[in-house]
Amino acid sequence: MTVTRLRLASVMPLLVLAGLCVAISIAEPRFLSIDNLIRIAAASAAPLVLALGATFVILMGSIDLSVEGSMAFASAILAACVANANGAGLDLGLAALPLVIAAAALFGALIGVIHTYLRVPSFMASLGMGFVGLGIATIMLGGERVGIVDESIRALALTRILNLPISIYVATFMLALAWVIQNHTRIGRRMLALGGAEQLVVASGVNVRHVRILVFAIAGAFFGVGAVLASARLGASSALVGSGQLFTAISAVVVGGTALTGGSGGVLATLLGVLIVMVLNNGMVILGLPTFVQQGVLGIMIIIAVLLNQPIRGLAVAK
Amino acid sequence: MTKFAGTIPWLGLIAAILIVAAFDASFLRPMTLIGLFSDSATLFLMALGMTWVIYIGSIDLSLQAVAAVSSVILALLIPQYGMVAIAVALVAGVLFGLVSGFVHGVLKLPSFIATLAVGGIAATAALALSGERSIQIDATPRTDSLSWAIGRTLDIPNEIWVSLIVLALAMVIEQMTPFGKAMKALGSGEPAARIAGIRIQRTKLIVFMFAGLFAALSGVVLAGRLSSGSPTIANEFLLPAIAAVVLGGTSLAGGSGGVLRTLVGTLLIVVARTGMTFIGINALAQQIVFGLVLIAAVSLSAGRAQKGIMK
Amino acid sequence: MLQLNDITKNFYGVQALKEVSLSVRVGEVVGLVGENGAGKSTLMKVLNGIHQPTNGSIEINGAKRVLRGPRDAATHGIGMVFQEQSLVPNISIAENIFLGNEARFVKFGRIDWRTMNDAARQQLAKVGLEVDPNTVTADLSFIQRQMVELAKVLTLEEAVAGNLCILLDEPTSMLEQAEITILFSVIRKLRGRAGIVFISHRLDEVIEISDTIYVMKDGAVVSRMEKAEASPSRIHHLMVGREVAASYYKQEERQRPEKQIALKVRGLTKAGAFEDISFDLNQGEVAALVGTEGAGSEPLIRSLFGLEKVERGTIELNGIDLTNVLTDRSVAAGVGYVPRERKIEGIVEEMSVQENIFLPLARQATRFGLFDFSRMAKKTNELMGKLRIKAPDRSTPCVNLSGGNQQKVVLARWYRTGARLFLLDHPTRGLDVGAKEDVYSLIREICAGGAAVILIGDTLEEALGLAHTIVVLKDGMQTARFDNTAATPLTPLDLIPHMV
Repeated sequence: MTVTRLRLASVMPLLVLAGLCVAISIAEPRFLSIDNLIRIAAASAAPLVLALGATFVILMGSIDLSVEGSMAFASAILAACVANANGAGLDLGLAALPLVIAAAALFGALIGVIHTYLRVPSFMASLGMGFVGLGIATIMLGGERVGIVDESIRALALTRILNLPISIYVATFMLALAWVIQNHTRIGRRMLALGGAEQLVVASGVNVRHVRILVFAIAGAFFGVGAVLASARLGASSALVGSGQLFTAISAVVVGGTALTGGSGGVLATLLGVLIVMVLNNGMVILGLPTFVQQGVLGIMIIIAVLLNQPIRGLAVAK
Repeated sequence: MTKFAGTIPWLGLIAAILIVAAFDASFLRPMTLIGLFSDSATLFLMALGMTWVIYIGSIDLSLQAVAAVSSVILALLIPQYGMVAIAVALVAGVLFGLVSGFVHGVLKLPSFIATLAVGGIAATAALALSGERSIQIDATPRTDSLSWAIGRTLDIPNEIWVSLIVLALAMVIEQMTPFGKAMKALGSGEPAARIAGIRIQRTKLIVFMFAGLFAALSGVVLAGRLSSGSPTIANEFLLPAIAAVVLGGTSLAGGSGGVLRTLVGTLLIVVARTGMTFIGINALAQQIVFGLVLIAAVSLSAGRAQKGIMK
Repeated sequence: MLQLNDITKNFYGVQALKEVSLSVRVGEVVGLVGENGAGKSTLMKVLNGIHQPTNGSIEINGAKRVLRGPRDAATHGIGMVFQEQSLVPNISIAENIFLGNEARFVKFGRIDWRTMNDAARQQLAKVGLEVDPNTVTADLSFIQRQMVELAKVLTLEEAVAGNLCILLDEPTSMLEQAEITILFSVIRKLRGRAGIVFISHRLDEVIEISDTIYVMKDGAVVSRMEKAEASPSRIHHLMVGREVAASYYKQEERQRPEKQIALKVRGLTKAGAFEDISFDLNQGEVAALVGTEGAGSEPLIRSLFGLEKVERGTIELNGIDLTNVLTDRSVAAGVGYVPRERKIEGIVEEMSVQENIFLPLARQATRFGLFDFSRMAKKTNELMGKLRIKAPDRSTPCVNLSGGNQQKVVLARWYRTGARLFLLDHPTRGLDVGAKEDVYSLIREICAGGAAVILIGDTLEEALGLAHTIVVLKDGMQTARFDNTAATPLTPLDLIPHMV
């Protein structure tokens, strides 16, 4: 099961989140209003799903820098499958979603294949494929932002159930799914074991390549869902739909307490990480600070978080 | 085999030029080629900085943000301080490099995450300093202080001269100094470098500072060319810069390659890009090609990478 | 149940195993001892299917078998507990026990934790370990992990018809005395249902637990004895004893050391490695560190170079304090280290002969900060001639050189910097006879030039043949120190009592 050892690194994110909330609400009590909290939750939906995908890859000790490109690709597929402003979409409605997610998973699997079979380091394979995804999306969308007309897709962002946007339910479902994958399936456990000690997993006869490819595919599927949520919120499909999401996703994972060396941390840590990032973001807005400061703050937090999570042994990974 | 590998990019470059020329013979006119090379100077400068980082087996994802900060600093200071603004812009680049080098070399974070984080900090600095907009550089300070970068000498654009001078200096450092050999040893394998008494942390710090310096220079020249400094000025540079290094034949595993290779790599990229534009491929869509080419180049040079981690 | 017949294994023309025969019966513990490089690990890898024997056959329960890998060996009932522990630290005990074999616990895509943990508990009961199988493995003590490894191997009982053979590769090397007692009681219990092969460097342990003991040396079994006939000193003598022509090390050419002290080591202590080591080394003197594997020579020599930190004590070379400095400082002060892992730590394979020779203190070869290439070329050619480095030319990448020539490049490097203290960590490991002799004559020359040498030899004979002074270590403590003069040469028999 998940590592339960209580270390500074594992309580730190919780303390940071609590501290942030307290500090911001003292400075600006409106922070705690129901509306604002819902706003944070709604804004967190897509980043959470994306960060969950990235978590899997990082848990096994790899990295996926393709978040933005994968999202662009998935978003373009989405535009092609539903009624869009160009009038060229297939108008599949919600039936488009499985297609989009499958395409995104395939894209992820391709990264995995390149990484494992062509022996390209994962950061390079995913960086390169991320650009490929951006390029494909640009061509498919003609370099434009294409409005999504389909009501059922727009509804993901607009319709509310019990006063909460559907995207929050989707994100919650994906969180639960990610948790089950991590803790109760073979692929989840192998991905953790791989992050813990790869050569031992190899020695026990597991086909590590397949595990890696599958994990990249799962991550791709999560990016696909994230792209759908982001496109629904935007009301359009665009190659730039994921702009800035890579940085957010990686910082959320790392700040949440998942070690870049793999093997420790997990989806619940990532939930914390996403909340930290989004609360910070929201706090800056309501305190009237420019949002771009966030990137700098996150940059510093990444460094501190990685330092705290770094195992004492095995610094050799620092290439 | 290694000698052969060194010539492949050159052959590729000639082939690429000939292919483009087959579509449009005017491409071979000296003025067209010179214009092409001067356009590629800023990319080349950034790729130079990236080269040594990759040469020692690391990566720097912050360079485009560093170039942006430098362009903004330059644009802000140049009306009042002239040439001093250039020095400040370059020093800023070195400082960001120092921070990256410290976080990676001393705090021992993997370089891609260290530089991703420092890149975020640099991007913030660029946005904050510029107030999230592009800052014009007026004609007077531009000609007064930046003509060394954007004028012409002997009828050849100064961007080319600057690139060549920096390349020559870099080659001397790389090939003829103990620091150059320390980089090579470090890229080939840290344990052996340590046994040979090489100061590993110091070498890493200096390499990242050089990367910052070259990126800043790239930002300065870019600002001169575009008459403005902007937080997004170098946004499309990261992938081509890495691709230029890798295509030129510097291995991601470290220890082989060098700045001269990066010259070929950059030219290859620029010619390919021109060719694609010529055929009518949209600039963003060209990323497909560069992404794939990057992966192909890395996987072809991955043969001896088993000692590096393939995670 | 297991019978090896005349197993021979060649690696690139080197015989790692020479007609090794060995048999293991159920209910028997077979002890396997030998120095490092004697062939124990290779033999284990043959048994585990990682290596295929060049010649000879393996019989399991009377039938000849070819073992194609660890999984295949497992299907024939051969399980191995590795020296480096082979448990994934961040997953649970149960997951480790069934790693790679979880299929039977998966229901509708989900792992059935209850069934898996129950099955794990059954396995743990076999070794008498009472912990929750849901515990994260990293939270276990060393001995507990060792037990889990055993339990993991014992899952073969259910999977394989017939008896098991369990290979234990240095299971005690990291254990405390009380833990060893526990491990032994478990091994004795398991004896009833399996044959066991036990490898250890601690001879008294091997004698205590084993029924039969095989002694290996230079890839061959040199003796097989019953427990009753065994004693540590007898075994050790069999392990290390070699007949060497008296002239091989050319002891008569060895110079007498000067009277000037070069290196002063005082009270050097590193927890878990060595304790309170003090000695002086004169200029031109060779001191050999001898001891069994794990006695502390390796960390000591690495600490002297600055690769490992010490907790207490001082190192002083010609008046310069070198305690806990980084390697650039020790190199600058005139220390040269020739590491045991030549290809990883010694040379930079991608670099040429000249680049390697001019890697440390490269500033010596510069003028105005730039390399003086003509001077470097001259010096490289001179050193290549002097050290008989065989390479097409000085710009040949070292990856293309033979091991002996690579080693000479490393030595040439420190020759060039004018090192005053050479730390030689197994300098002749893996070299052929000719290259060895070249290295020996170099060591004599280094001393003649007034530099001091600390040597960890590949064999006791090598140490005795080259050193003026022998420092014997045991369990990190200095147990003896001998003067080894040509007039009164020592023999391995003089040293062994202080080593074991």
